[in-house]
Amino acid sequence: MNAGIGTEIIYAFVIILCSLMIYFGTRELYELTSHKGIKYFRQAFLFFALAYFFRSFIKFIIKYFDLRNIFEFAPMLFGPITLFLFAYLSSIAIFYLLYSVIYKRLEKKKYVLYLIHAIALVFAFLILLSQNPLMHLYINGILFILAGITVYFAKINSKKKKGQNLYTIYILLFIFWILNILDILVPAFIEIFQLIIYLSSISIFLTILYKVLRNLGVK
Amino acid sequence: MAKRERLEIIKDILKIINDNRAMKITPLIRRSNLSTSRFKEYFGDLLRKGFVVEKNKTIKITEKGSRFLEKYQTILHFIDEFDL
Repeated sequence: MNAGIGTEIIYAFVIILCSLMIYFGTRELYELTSHKGIKYFRQAFLFFALAYFFRSFIKFIIKYFDLRNIFEFAPMLFGPITLFLFAYLSSIAIFYLLYSVIYKRLEKKKYVLYLIHAIALVFAFLILLSQNPLMHLYINGILFILAGITVYFAKINSKKKKGQNLYTIYILLFIFWILNILDILVPAFIEIFQLIIYLSSISIFLTILYKVLRNLGVK
Repeated sequence: MAKRERLEIIKDILKIINDNRAMKITPLIRRSNLSTSRFKEYFGDLLRKGFVVEKNKTIKITEKGSRFLEKYQTILHFIDEFDL
């Protein structure tokens, strides 16, 4: 296994671990309250974990357990399938995080969740069919402008002065996402640049994990 | 009704039961300051979630119900902090 893939797998592993710690760490809160906001918030992190599993970690499983022969019949399918799943699941993760903030205003519109999945599927198909990293950049740009507008209006409509952690998380995820798009756009041979991106992204996810665990009362 | 109010009502009912160890339904309705129909709605919810048990017309809080009371402040804080 070369160093580039090794670093990418460790990176994916940390993101998956942080996301799953948030998902399982908030389980009791959800089980006690059945609160929909908590439900969508934790599901967003489950989708992040799944997205990074398909982005990188699956490469490790295939190499480590020598499952390459499974894809021998059509090796060209493996890359597009994982790209599609990564694009779909990461868009869903962002949508669910936003939905956890605005679901109260949309509670009677049950079609919104189906719409979210449909938009994420369209985004994933566009990324898959275009085979162009710039398309990924444009789509994520649209996603984050939408997200920014939603969070901004949720904040100005909110009578509460709290909710600061959500906005911090949103800004951190935004930086995280920009770094990941740069990672896709910048050729893999600039390894030092990639390493900086990975370390910055890991720091961002660890900060998010810390903020969530601190608010759960975990010391 | 806002979710926070719902959680607050659940907390209030559980706290009354917890403070009295066990209670009959009529004094519980009276002390919860809810109409009978609204009380039944919440009480059904508490039974379904396993927060309380009813035996021989006496209501007792369960371990899960006590856990809700313990975690109540954390729950509110979490919902507020992440604007959920």
